[in-house]
Amino acid sequence: MSELAIPTLEAQVKSERSAIGSLRMVQTASILVIALVIVSPLFMLLIASLKDDRFQILADMGSFRAFWVSNPTLSNFAEIGNLSGELAFGRYLVNSLIILASTVGAGLIVNSMAGFVLAWGSLRGRALILSLVIALYVIPQESIIMPLVIMVSRAGMTDTFAVQIVPWIASPLYIFLFYQFFAQLPKELFEAAQIDGASVFRIYRSIFLPLSLPALATVSILMGIESWNQYLWPILVTQTDYARPIAVAIATFFGQDSIYWDRAMAASVLMMIPILALYLAFQRWFVSSFVGSAVKG
Amino acid sequence: MASAALGGVAEAKTVIHVMHQGDPGWVATYGEIAKRFEAANPDVDVELIYAPHDAYNEKFSAAVMSKQLPDVMELDAPFLANYVWSGYLQPIKLLVDKDVIDDMTESNIAQGTYPIDKDLYAVGLTDSSVVLYGNKKYLEAIGARIPKSVDDAWTREEFEGYLEKLSTLEGVKWPIDTFRGYGIKTEWITYAYGPILQSAGCDLIDRKTWKSVGTLDGDPCVEALTMMQKWVTNGWVVPQSSGTNQFFAEGHPAALALGGHWFYAEAAASMKDDIVVMPLPKFGPKGASPNGTWIWGITTASEHPDIAGKFISFMLKDKLYRDYAREDSGYPGLKSFAADSPLYAAGGPMAVAFEQASKTAIARPPHPAYPAITSAFMGAVDEIFNGGDAKAALSKAAEKIDEDIEENDGYPPFDEQQ
Repeated sequence: MSELAIPTLEAQVKSERSAIGSLRMVQTASILVIALVIVSPLFMLLIASLKDDRFQILADMGSFRAFWVSNPTLSNFAEIGNLSGELAFGRYLVNSLIILASTVGAGLIVNSMAGFVLAWGSLRGRALILSLVIALYVIPQESIIMPLVIMVSRAGMTDTFAVQIVPWIASPLYIFLFYQFFAQLPKELFEAAQIDGASVFRIYRSIFLPLSLPALATVSILMGIESWNQYLWPILVTQTDYARPIAVAIATFFGQDSIYWDRAMAASVLMMIPILALYLAFQRWFVSSFVGSAVKG
Repeated sequence: MASAALGGVAEAKTVIHVMHQGDPGWVATYGEIAKRFEAANPDVDVELIYAPHDAYNEKFSAAVMSKQLPDVMELDAPFLANYVWSGYLQPIKLLVDKDVIDDMTESNIAQGTYPIDKDLYAVGLTDSSVVLYGNKKYLEAIGARIPKSVDDAWTREEFEGYLEKLSTLEGVKWPIDTFRGYGIKTEWITYAYGPILQSAGCDLIDRKTWKSVGTLDGDPCVEALTMMQKWVTNGWVVPQSSGTNQFFAEGHPAALALGGHWFYAEAAASMKDDIVVMPLPKFGPKGASPNGTWIWGITTASEHPDIAGKFISFMLKDKLYRDYAREDSGYPGLKSFAADSPLYAAGGPMAVAFEQASKTAIARPPHPAYPAITSAFMGAVDEIFNGGDAKAALSKAAEKIDEDIEENDGYPPFDEQQ
């Protein structure tokens, strides 16, 4: 019996190993397919940005030629790289970076402070304020956009950088994210600092903020993407090139009768770079924040 | 002192705001025109306000709400009646140079005229049309007759017969591209398919009673849309997901293209002499083709309508502006521009397109309810192309249009027109 059992067990182990191997192969293949689906449009974008004939780009779409360039050129990038004059895309890119940096910078301070006060402050009615913040989150931006246009125009803020930064600094979502993060930190930290005589602001700045890198990274990336992709708002509140961001400028290439695919693709590649850099810079904390949330959930 | 003096000079200048859309070439061209106008009129500053084509209406709404309407604005012709009725535009006949007004084609006058007072509210250098592009090789292979003029256009029977023959021809994946790829968020469906209804003997709305029920859902319209639905279900039409390049893409999978005048530049760049330009087929008793494009008006908010009119006149006569429009295959809206456009002149490759302007062009309904009309019609066509019942979809759209008109008390005085 035992002589018979040993080969059976071996066969079973072999069969299980082979099943696991097959499963891994299927997994790897699936991941590769998913990666291909995600990466191929980006690759196509990059390839198209290196072609200088917009009609050819359109003719190539839908075939494998969309993924191949025989005479790559940087002429599209050269054409859109101006810092002054009509359609100064270099200028628009700089404008977008200013808006991004200011919104994210100010947003991290304001939202984290608000989240901290709601989690640990001695403010009366914190629970009510928190409920209101959560309730505000469900109001879609589109529904308040026209009243907001009227407000900023009456305040004389149109066509400025401020009008694209100030309204988006405080956000119920990010306040709530910070609140959630701060609230789960041990109470002892707060109490120990209090016993040592630290003020609430000092506790926030010197203890809680340095511990909240994952939350800061998450909010930076989410807020950065949101600010970078703003389209309708800048269209409504900017009139000239002075503070116009690149997302609006790219829409110029999509005209009434024709689409300038060559330069639109090059501008899109340029537009992708900063936000990709932001993600790569913060991805470690961003991922750990998400993993942390998942484990807690 | 110096800065105060400079401030004084700046204050003395009259500023006019000009709101426009357009691709990079047009944006640069308007910038140059503004500079030249300022050089010719040193006491005027032109401030250009750009809004992307797709978000122009939102920008305009924001300008209205924040009371920041420009002096001069570019507008899509079919929205003119709505803007005039809402009080945003003023008549321009006395503000724009007489030689420019006298130079307008019939179609251009039609697109800029408000039907209530018959006054002119906008003018443009260009107009537009839709023609039938054909792949010469495929048409020769099936022995198709090539129409040479509008009077010679294919009949419905001929057209559908050719579609059927093309559907079995080797190399042809789709007999026709009707540019479903433009989607339902643009004006394309109403602009390009509306004339098929008009040619078939009906319309989006009765232009005397301004009622849609009984017209849009009448038998001729239902029959016309059922015909188009059949093209789609037979697999003869390029699907929406296949984009807008199948006529000239590798292998030329689409044999015909029901495309705008602007499509010629894209197609000819790739197909060279293999392209033939034909008038739109006659689907019923008469031929019909669309018109209307982005034109220039002066708003009622303008504090300097005389200067605004001067700017429009200057722009429409500007040589470089015309040169750029010609390079961009601009469809002439001024007679002098037509005479100077070889593409559209007699014997030119797009001559038949220009011929349509005087023979078959029908403006989209010049009524303040146009935004509701176009939205309802586009929804109905989308539903029908996706397998919906033509009668039911058109009835729903017609009711929606009439509801909008009723909700606005008939948009007086349009309700008094009979």
